[in-house]
Amino acid sequence: MTKPIPIDSTLQACSRPELRALVSRVSDRLNVMWAQKLVAHCATLEPEEGSLRIGIVRSFTSELLDPWLKLAAALQGLGIDIYHAPYGLSLQEAEPDSGLVSHAPDVTVLLLDCESVHPAFNAPLVEHDADTQRQVADVVLDRLCSILERFRSQPIGHMVLALLPARIGPALGTFDAQSERSQARWWSDLKGRIAACLRTSMRAASLLDLDELLLDIGRSHFFDRRLWYSARFPFAPRAAFEVATRIVEVGVLTKRPKAKVIALDADNTLWGGIIGEDGIEGIALGPDYPGNCYLDFQRRLLDLEQRGFVLALCSKNNAADVEHVLSSHPHQLIKDHHFVAKRVNWLDKATNLRELADELNLGLSSFVFVDDSAHEIAAVRRLLPEVEAVQMPHEPLDVPTALEHVARLQTLSLTAEDQSKTGMYIAERERRSHKARFGQDAGALGDYLSSLDMRMQVVYDSAAHVGRLAQLTQKTNQFNLTTRRRDEQQLADLIAAQDWLVAHFSLTDIFGDSGIVGLALVRRLDDAAAELDSFLMSCRVIGRTAEQAFLETLLRKLKQEGVRTFFADYLPTSKNGLVADFLPKQGFSRRADGRHERRLDQGPAVSLAAKSPIVVTESNGAPFSRKTD
Amino acid sequence: MSIFAQLQDAIATTLNVAPEKISETTSADNLTAWDSLGHVNLMMAIEQTFDIYLEVEDFSKLTSVEAILAYLDSRDIR
Repeated sequence: MTKPIPIDSTLQACSRPELRALVSRVSDRLNVMWAQKLVAHCATLEPEEGSLRIGIVRSFTSELLDPWLKLAAALQGLGIDIYHAPYGLSLQEAEPDSGLVSHAPDVTVLLLDCESVHPAFNAPLVEHDADTQRQVADVVLDRLCSILERFRSQPIGHMVLALLPARIGPALGTFDAQSERSQARWWSDLKGRIAACLRTSMRAASLLDLDELLLDIGRSHFFDRRLWYSARFPFAPRAAFEVATRIVEVGVLTKRPKAKVIALDADNTLWGGIIGEDGIEGIALGPDYPGNCYLDFQRRLLDLEQRGFVLALCSKNNAADVEHVLSSHPHQLIKDHHFVAKRVNWLDKATNLRELADELNLGLSSFVFVDDSAHEIAAVRRLLPEVEAVQMPHEPLDVPTALEHVARLQTLSLTAEDQSKTGMYIAERERRSHKARFGQDAGALGDYLSSLDMRMQVVYDSAAHVGRLAQLTQKTNQFNLTTRRRDEQQLADLIAAQDWLVAHFSLTDIFGDSGIVGLALVRRLDDAAAELDSFLMSCRVIGRTAEQAFLETLLRKLKQEGVRTFFADYLPTSKNGLVADFLPKQGFSRRADGRHERRLDQGPAVSLAAKSPIVVTESNGAPFSRKTD
Repeated sequence: MSIFAQLQDAIATTLNVAPEKISETTSADNLTAWDSLGHVNLMMAIEQTFDIYLEVEDFSKLTSVEAILAYLDSRDIR
């Protein structure tokens, strides 16, 4: 519970972010009429920025979600076009000529009640012993996965599975939690197995756990029994709005630039009060109210770091005051080492955010800026519209959940690289200061590079990391010769194909392991020729000659495999100017038709440049030959 | 605002039609936007507008402006 505000006050919002914040505070009192009013109000604020196509396959009434989907989309500045598949779980919708496929959705939601997935849900589960229960789960899982696979085989955008929670408590009532036949435990295990199936064997597919929403809202507020029993629509208004919000979030995450950095103000954001005035003893941070609200907010920020976002500090303060809190306040959870970059000074926030972007080598559109000052937020929104600016609530009770409604701080996938991002950025910072010690002399760069003791592992045709490889093709804009985006399934297909070579590399040095940071896709054209379809590298490792070592390793491999002519292309975009002359520099010659070519049969495959400071090891894949069929 | 004007506003906003199109003779039979799904939404809107709780049994009876006004009157909403 937080302090209620009148529902009419939402109509005073002057911007979409402000409206989103207000709506989240009245979401328990919304109804369809208000949804329509708010959509209309949204339209007066700012023009839409794009549109979302949603497909819904459902086993119950879903049309009543429309006003809520429209509201959720409008709050994100998106128009929305919704297709509802015919009533009932219709597998014909998974055919290439279906209404769903021709709608070409960005997001397809499978909104199912459990009884429609399998009849087992109609009988009491607790009549079975544990073994039989397990068999029932196997059967349900099989059935569901085969349904999901059929849909996934069609181009229907990101797929979201949402299973309707139980409308009433478990068969054994209060005793369920204690019973070895517990229905709640069975369901939670089954959900875990469904999630694993989505995670491991399906690309672009997510489980939307409605039970989690039900926890937020409470069962009696989640369902409207009148609507369920009279119109087979389960959701009370609040649940309908939250479900719609989660669906639109998926659309936002697939369509908008990915958020990477949370740039935080310090005073009244990380703690209550102003360090320069209240002093380290006086700021609110600790076990008592209101300091415990800020403590919970800091915990949440560390959670967000686990989702793959990195934290930066952007505060108008004396640097020493802030350092003192970070190092010495007994309750400060976020320490200096959690921040990948800091700007604590008296410059304006826009200047500092620009500098942070430069330092981290990221675009401003990857920034979410969090500040308590309405003035700072407004200035950043005006000067840097690419930055998503979020205003901290003034009520301490609202502080812990201040970022819960920022759609771009959700994530649809998580790789090992995501979870250790902070460490990687900090290693990069250490690398830079290490480099500075070598000075600017002629041999300094070479000395610096050899001092890093770099080791590269090149791996061919391994399906173990397709998630990360797909992420690289989707996120790499700067060091990318052709900017061809591929999803996990496409990469898995290329890895399996005999006429494609999928090479990736990871790099370690004295400062740490960068993880998988480079990818090359090579297609065999005939016995003697191949072409470089994609060649890209994360900006994280730019400046360490890794691209050269990787390419040379690849050329040597191709030469061994009998390739004599190797073609490559540079396809310019607004962001990849960095690699405009990469191919000529690597000994490729430009042909009349604009392609680049390098002969591998004349002279050594490897260029005769200075010896690489990187020690390369390779793990062999399957032989790479021309397509046989 | 009169009860009719409040109802007119609720129907127009919920079903996305111009308020002028809603008169005392409007019903689900003569307003295209007042279909079965619109009707469910309208019931929710009426609840909120007049701060009442509608029974499922009422849903199927309240399919015209006239019926809704009579119902509100019976609940002493005048």
